[in-house]
Amino acid sequence: MPDSEPIIRASGLTKRFRRAVRPPGLRGALKHLVRPRYETLTAVDAIDLTIHPGESVAYVGPNGAGKSTTIKLLTGILVPSEGEVSVRGIAPWQHRIDNAFNMGVVFGQRTQLWWDIPVVESFRLLGDIYQLDAATYIRTFDDLVEVLDLQPLLAVPARQLSLGQRMRCDLAASLIHSPPILYLDEPSIGLDVSVKARFREFIRAMHRERGLTVMLTSHDLGDIEELCERMVMIDKGHIVYDGALTEITNRFGWERTLALTLSDPTPDADTIATGALDGRSGVRVTQPTDTTLTITYDGRIVTSGELIRDLAISVPMTDVDIQEPSAESIIRHLYEGTLRFDDAPGSDA
Amino acid sequence: MSELAIAPPKHPSALKRYVSIARMALQQTLAYRGTTLATVLILFLWIAILFSFWNSAYAGREEIAGYTHRDMRTYILLAYAINALVGWRVARGMMGRIRTGEIVIDMVRPLNYRTTQLAIAAGGGVIEGCISFGIAIGLGLLFFDIRPPDSPLAAGLFIFSVLLGFVTKVLVVFLISLLTFWTLQGVGIMWAQGSVIAILSGTLVPLALLPGWIRVVAEVLPLRGIVATPVSIYIGTADGLALAGLLALQLAWLAALWWVTDRAWLRAFRAVEIQGG
Repeated sequence: MPDSEPIIRASGLTKRFRRAVRPPGLRGALKHLVRPRYETLTAVDAIDLTIHPGESVAYVGPNGAGKSTTIKLLTGILVPSEGEVSVRGIAPWQHRIDNAFNMGVVFGQRTQLWWDIPVVESFRLLGDIYQLDAATYIRTFDDLVEVLDLQPLLAVPARQLSLGQRMRCDLAASLIHSPPILYLDEPSIGLDVSVKARFREFIRAMHRERGLTVMLTSHDLGDIEELCERMVMIDKGHIVYDGALTEITNRFGWERTLALTLSDPTPDADTIATGALDGRSGVRVTQPTDTTLTITYDGRIVTSGELIRDLAISVPMTDVDIQEPSAESIIRHLYEGTLRFDDAPGSDA
Repeated sequence: MSELAIAPPKHPSALKRYVSIARMALQQTLAYRGTTLATVLILFLWIAILFSFWNSAYAGREEIAGYTHRDMRTYILLAYAINALVGWRVARGMMGRIRTGEIVIDMVRPLNYRTTQLAIAAGGGVIEGCISFGIAIGLGLLFFDIRPPDSPLAAGLFIFSVLLGFVTKVLVVFLISLLTFWTLQGVGIMWAQGSVIAILSGTLVPLALLPGWIRVVAEVLPLRGIVATPVSIYIGTADGLALAGLLALQLAWLAALWWVTDRAWLRAFRAVEIQGG
């Protein structure tokens, strides 16, 4: 991690929403009209986050975990309910306009281009909005047009662009004022493989060559793996992991699997195995077919050696495969809501 | 660090951004010239209906509520031309962007939202104004024998008052569109607002012809500043002290609306979630 001043700093950052509770149907609508009821929803719950200039951070979590809300807090669109947030030393919500000069944003599901006018006019207007002088504008514009291959698209109104073309234009639009920070909110949604590859290559180059600080939310494992060294995982408003992508297996990789191949078809092998392992905590037995058996266990409590020893006397096995979880499967578990964050008793993981 | 990390110059001329936005809005209004033209034509259908109505009403009469027939024809033509400014597309634009969450795009830019909306309305207003005043003056001089302004001073003050009314209308529409932050459903509000503005601004009939209490309400509300005030300056129904009073009311309401929209925007910004995650 660079030892410079952080570019983004959040501490105890919290955002609560008040949401109307409407019972279904006409009756519900009337009831809500007479006596409206609200519930409070904590989208982001006291998160601490420090990002240094030049870092690229993947911000991942299931839908509704608070990813987009965090991005909106950092961009100054939302006002925090509690806690501190500063980007380049200023509070985004208090100085939204100053903050806007420091960042570019790409929302994968929305375009920032003007719908009915040629793309080149959108860029020109953005140049005026960010108050670029003509020379600076032309330099950056030419650069972006070349790198992103926009020349054939410049005369086309945004509404006639394909999704991939639009995304290239949106990327250029978000960088026209050469901001030090780029937020990407689900940027590769709906893009095909080749467009995705080019998009990642471009972001990587901007990051490496120009020291752009990148914060990315994505469901796409490829985006996360290829673009970000650091991963921050959020679930139900809390940060549950913050560290290198490659080290995620050390934190969550304790759930391991033994895949046994049996020598004879044994329909009740799971019952036998469960009996043999009786008394061991954190062990789960499933039997996908007559000749295979899957044992999931907590690697911090029990070792594969102990399990194999217990099973060898009662189950006729010919082969054992010990499977450790990949970063990919951990992230998939996170998105499916099946990742367990509990620490093992006595473990310091 | 590289050039990317250098902060851009601090707002040398904020005005230029909004001028560019206005120009863009003007271009977009031209892109939708079909819609714009259709709106204006429907407007003149209304004028045609009102003309034939007032023709019957003035049969055998010199004056109605202090207006001669010629005054009334002038009134209607000018009122409709003025009310064509800040058309429904501006209102729909503001409400739509809040309802769909597109507003996040406006808010990640270094722009004041209200000033942006004023710039958009101004850009569109140039086209709307050219079309509706062009047609109104053309028709008025060719067919309807409209009267000239009461005096050169009245002509100047008329233009000034129209501009104040323009800003008033943008702020009123802006304020109403902020309600969409809470209701998230703009069509009903937009519909109601169009009719309410047409009545209380004095577009439909001069305020003097409104029944009792509605008239009292209309005379104190800011909406009269959009149409009734400039037109009565043109015709000369208000002069001297009355005229000064009307302009003062227009300015006072403008100041009040400026303050209220500021507060309302801050509240909406702080209190409400932005749609679409």
